[in-house]
Amino acid sequence: MKDVVNTSVVFFGYALVAIFAQNAIFTRALGVSRLVHLVGDDRTSSWLFGMQLCITQALVAPLAWYAGSWMAPLPFRAPLRPLMYALCIAVVCIAEHLVLHYTALPWRDTLLHLVPLAGLNSCVLGTVLVERTQSFTRVQSLGFGLGSGAGYLLAVLLVTEGRHRLRSRAIPTAFRGMPVALVYIGILALAIYGFTGHSVIL
Amino acid sequence: MKKSTAQRILQDPEKYAHHDRVFLNNPVVMQGMGLAPLVVIATTGLNAGMLAVAVTLMLTPSRVLACLVSRLFPLSEDPDKEQLQKMLLPRALVYSLSAAVVYLAVYPILNALFGTNLLSLGIYLPMLVVEPLLTYRFGRVQEPLHKAVSKGVRITVGYVLLLLVLGCVREWLAAGTVFGTPVGRYALLPVARMPAGGFIVLGVLCAVWRAAVTRRRAYLEKEARDLISVHDQKEAERKE
Repeated sequence: MKDVVNTSVVFFGYALVAIFAQNAIFTRALGVSRLVHLVGDDRTSSWLFGMQLCITQALVAPLAWYAGSWMAPLPFRAPLRPLMYALCIAVVCIAEHLVLHYTALPWRDTLLHLVPLAGLNSCVLGTVLVERTQSFTRVQSLGFGLGSGAGYLLAVLLVTEGRHRLRSRAIPTAFRGMPVALVYIGILALAIYGFTGHSVIL
Repeated sequence: MKKSTAQRILQDPEKYAHHDRVFLNNPVVMQGMGLAPLVVIATTGLNAGMLAVAVTLMLTPSRVLACLVSRLFPLSEDPDKEQLQKMLLPRALVYSLSAAVVYLAVYPILNALFGTNLLSLGIYLPMLVVEPLLTYRFGRVQEPLHKAVSKGVRITVGYVLLLLVLGCVREWLAAGTVFGTPVGRYALLPVARMPAGGFIVLGVLCAVWRAAVTRRRAYLEKEARDLISVHDQKEAERKE
């Protein structure tokens, strides 16, 4: 029983750290290029994208943990790392694609379209690389992976809301769109430093 | 300005601007690609330089490799829903895995060039393999090989230019130096070395760049109009 409680505490603790203190967007800018496109694209649902990303992160985390452990003793692991992790992401994306293809889940067509966008994303690969750099255990990796996905969704919703409010005519033309969104993300990131400080390991 | 250039500008100003990936349609400023390394890693001229070399070595070769392999999963000009569902994932995998394969060859070169300094790029160096800068093409129509090379080179130049400008500006603001050489007495904005400062400085730089693009485009269109009208006048005088 004690082990179950300990594992749950570690899992949720790391998930919370990934959502707030080490948010993928605000502290490491992981997947920010996709975010900027996503908030300007009214055809793609931020919720569905965020959900797909969370699922992918949670599935990739254990797979990448095993791949990382397998690679650890290899002398040429540094150049091999992105290929191995990209293969892990590929396996998860293909599995998600097959599940969606052969079932009649709601929003099936949209999700099929989102699988490659949410999978081959620097948020997913970046999170996996952070987990390896910081030598997380399997449970920590799983919690951090899921939390990163949820943190990304939180960032998308905050930036989408901000973007709706940043349509004022008072904003100079050159700043409208992406430039003002970047400044806004920067200010939100500063607010997070106010709570946690800034000591992120790259 | 040549007459043919003026005609191209007047015929389709959007297409002319779209073709220029260095200034008028810079991949970062106009399309928001490759932002993560810019925001977090491009804090000094040296970091920006290392990243620039990495992107130069990776972008065009990976695009060419992906272009060749993705012929197995071609995407037409106006793909229907079924084709998109069938082709999008394999194409995305081809583009990312091609970049990862090219990274295998590029990493030893970077290691030989920069040694332990390379560690300061952290996770952002391997992360290049999924950067939209290298992989965005998977959702677009299949491109021929010569276009992959020419666009790859132009995008590389545009990205590297912005990378170096941002790296130098952030180093100057955060430490009062450029490539380690003191410029001015004070560090004007120490927060520029953090990701939050990176977002803000990049946002301001993008706005300034976009304003310059708007002015440049207006200037080019006016120049092209003037040149064509002078040319037409000369033609008319010659006929008389």
